[in-house]
Amino acid sequence: MLKQLLTTIAITGALVTTQPAFAASPPNMLVIGTNLTGIRTLDPAQNNARTVSELISNLYDNLVQLSPEDLKTLKPMLATQWSVSPDGKIITLTLRDDAVFQSGNKVTAEDAAWSIQRVIKMGQVGSTDVALWGFTPDNVEKLVRAKDEHTLEIELPQTVNTDLVLYSLAGSSLGIVDKKTVLSHEANADFGGAWLSANSAGSGPFSLAQWRPNDVAIFNAQPKYWGGKPAMARVVARHIPESGNLRLQLEAGDVDVGQYVASGDLDALATKKDMVIENVPGLGFYYIALNQKDPDLQKPKVREAFQHAFDWKAISGNIMRYTGFPWQSMIPRGMIGAPEQADVRYDYDPAKAKQLLAEAGYPNGLRKVLNPSGAATLPFAEALQASARAAGLDLDLVPGEFTPAFRERKFEVLLGNSGARLPDPFAVATQYAFNPDNSDEARLGSYYLWRTGMKVDDLNSLIDQSMKERDTVKRTDIFKKMDGIYSGMAAPLVIFFQRTDPYVMRANVKGYHGHTTWSTRWHDVTKE
Amino acid sequence: MASADLTSKQESSRHSQAGGFADAAPHPLTSLLRRLAGRVVAVVTTLLGLLFLTFSMGRLLPADPVLSITGPEVSKEVYDRVFNELGLGQPIWMQFLSYVGKIATGDLGTSATTGQPILTDLMMIFPATIELAIIAMIIGAIIGIPLGVTAAVRRGTIIDHIARIIALAGHSIPIFWTGLMALFIFYAKLKLVGASGRVDVFYEGLVTPMTGFLLIDAAIQQQWEVFQNAVGHIILPASILGYYSVAYISRMSRSFMLEQLSQEYIITARAKGLGTRKVVWRHAFRNIRVQLLTILALTFGGLLEGAVLIETVFGWPGLGQYLTRGLQMNDMNVVMGSVLTIGAVFLTINILSDFLYRILDPRTR
Repeated sequence: MLKQLLTTIAITGALVTTQPAFAASPPNMLVIGTNLTGIRTLDPAQNNARTVSELISNLYDNLVQLSPEDLKTLKPMLATQWSVSPDGKIITLTLRDDAVFQSGNKVTAEDAAWSIQRVIKMGQVGSTDVALWGFTPDNVEKLVRAKDEHTLEIELPQTVNTDLVLYSLAGSSLGIVDKKTVLSHEANADFGGAWLSANSAGSGPFSLAQWRPNDVAIFNAQPKYWGGKPAMARVVARHIPESGNLRLQLEAGDVDVGQYVASGDLDALATKKDMVIENVPGLGFYYIALNQKDPDLQKPKVREAFQHAFDWKAISGNIMRYTGFPWQSMIPRGMIGAPEQADVRYDYDPAKAKQLLAEAGYPNGLRKVLNPSGAATLPFAEALQASARAAGLDLDLVPGEFTPAFRERKFEVLLGNSGARLPDPFAVATQYAFNPDNSDEARLGSYYLWRTGMKVDDLNSLIDQSMKERDTVKRTDIFKKMDGIYSGMAAPLVIFFQRTDPYVMRANVKGYHGHTTWSTRWHDVTKE
Repeated sequence: MASADLTSKQESSRHSQAGGFADAAPHPLTSLLRRLAGRVVAVVTTLLGLLFLTFSMGRLLPADPVLSITGPEVSKEVYDRVFNELGLGQPIWMQFLSYVGKIATGDLGTSATTGQPILTDLMMIFPATIELAIIAMIIGAIIGIPLGVTAAVRRGTIIDHIARIIALAGHSIPIFWTGLMALFIFYAKLKLVGASGRVDVFYEGLVTPMTGFLLIDAAIQQQWEVFQNAVGHIILPASILGYYSVAYISRMSRSFMLEQLSQEYIITARAKGLGTRKVVWRHAFRNIRVQLLTILALTFGGLLEGAVLIETVFGWPGLGQYLTRGLQMNDMNVVMGSVLTIGAVFLTINILSDFLYRILDPRTR
């Protein structure tokens, strides 16, 4: 028996030691270590999250694009040029004639029109941005039409700044799909949605080779891509949920790009010469939400007290070092109407907060339940709880996933963060300051001001104006005005940090740039 | 004649005496069928209870299954549509009945996070966990049993103390930490093993899934390079899991063996001048095999549970990770399907070990 045991051990040992070396990823393969949790489909029309947006952005081309370096200038992609009618009602786009889908079918205006119609008719999360302009399942077929093989006409149902419309066309949900191929896989009038969830039918630089949810996604380069064959023959996105493991693989060179790396591991990687950390600004904030259905929190002085109860400086250098930077304006940095630099509108001042609470009728302090929106905001909530105590605010922290409760207005104080994909202050303003109907029945869970239970008519009207206005100077003024009102009213969403997304790269990886709207492309990536 | 056989004879003689009262007992076949029927009823009841528990938990958790599908930023129209599609407007008892009805037809529902039927997901991921658990159990058994037996034979010596320390460490050090440390040493420093997943990315897709067990599939298709790479990936998580089972297996083996070593037949065998190795392995060990079988069965079930953490550390695409993600994402179909699967496996193992017990030990028939 002992002999048998030793033999077994020897065989196993031999297998391990004689196996090929666990070498670094090959020079023509890009390995991305990421978190693939929760990606239920790779259909552009059904996506609205960060990681999946990046995957889709490489399978599909859009009509236009925004480079990560410049989020204001629209660049050609499938459309080589575009024009707007003098009345601002019709956008006409001319499509290139050398683009082909991975099936071999040529990309036509008919495909582009059908892709937009499909997104609106399906009504899934991917339609969120483009539906803002007034397209509905009933009108979209008439308004978005192919004039000929290479000309697409988009007629707007209402007056909208056409730049906003074009920005939305650059979003990953508006990737152009191969109509003929997708329709051949349609089942139960699903517009091919079930098939597209695990297959690709785009004209992008890569095609989907293998997809195992929560495990791995493998992409092969399209040799006949109109923009030239990508340098990477293969890109692999691998699910590595444990940050420590991901860090070891980045250091060993098995993984080239790391996403969702934990703060401690980022600190360690930042000291390595062969690593680069790119901190990409996002279009969203970290905020404290105060429910206006709560009589205590309705008082403006209590909301003001919250502005001075959070020692945000203490955490900006550590737990927020890679995930956000101090920002207290509702217009994200770099956008039109935003302050030139981070101006401190409310600093940590526990004595002032205490005084404000006393003036509001709470000389002995106030006790509230604090929820983080999810695990990612828990450290932020813990820091708030600690610093608020000195300000007379006793916050009972209850951890868990509270986004659903936030949407239902069933919370007292909540700590959350957000993101947006339309690179214009309009998108953020709509999220943070728009609320056309404050009744419970309206259930406008998409709007944070509804979630916190406040309606401000001036803000609603300004947001509406910003959508319609075509003059940039006038729009800038509108956003500045909006920001002024928001700051002056002690808003129920107290903004402290603007979100950033850290990407770790091995130094030999060139041309990989995390995109603010999450549509990072791999076409120009090389490895030295 | 060996003393063990003598004991068996004594035992059977005792049984035959007892048999005097058993003349009125039912026919053995009837008894077996009755026992089998009882088992089936117990299994179905347990599974139903398990279903009810997981279903209730799913509904009591402060989670919104709609948002886990749509994401938080969704319009009211889309929200309402998905809400109705999931049947969440129906009374809770109707939802439960409809769930049980579907399961009876093999439909475990669709995962909100992968978009695929739970059954399809489970068929893809469960073999990965089983493969990991089997190897871990083999490692646990080939180290744990000899260690426990030796500790019993050399009671009070340094070996006994070492065995106890190993067992104690296995109980007290968090598996998550051990996993990361092992990765650091064997992957990052020594470069002996792979880090994440079942194979390196460049070997992905070279083996066509047939049984779902990568090692077997690679061997069948004679993809030896993939096979070696897969061994290099499984060896570390399986060894760590195996180590944690060593603690339990060695402790139990030691105590079973100590009990046997104090029996009269062992003292007789020793008095006859039989060597220690023969006394221990040929006689005493034969009498603890059946008990060890139960321990191994329990260990296997435990390994399926223990895999939850180790799968996360090693990015192992198995049931543990699937269940954890389901919980994190409030994907209740995943949670219910996974718990049901683990429950069913536990029941199957219990029944199998029970039957094997009866086959190996006639006294229990």
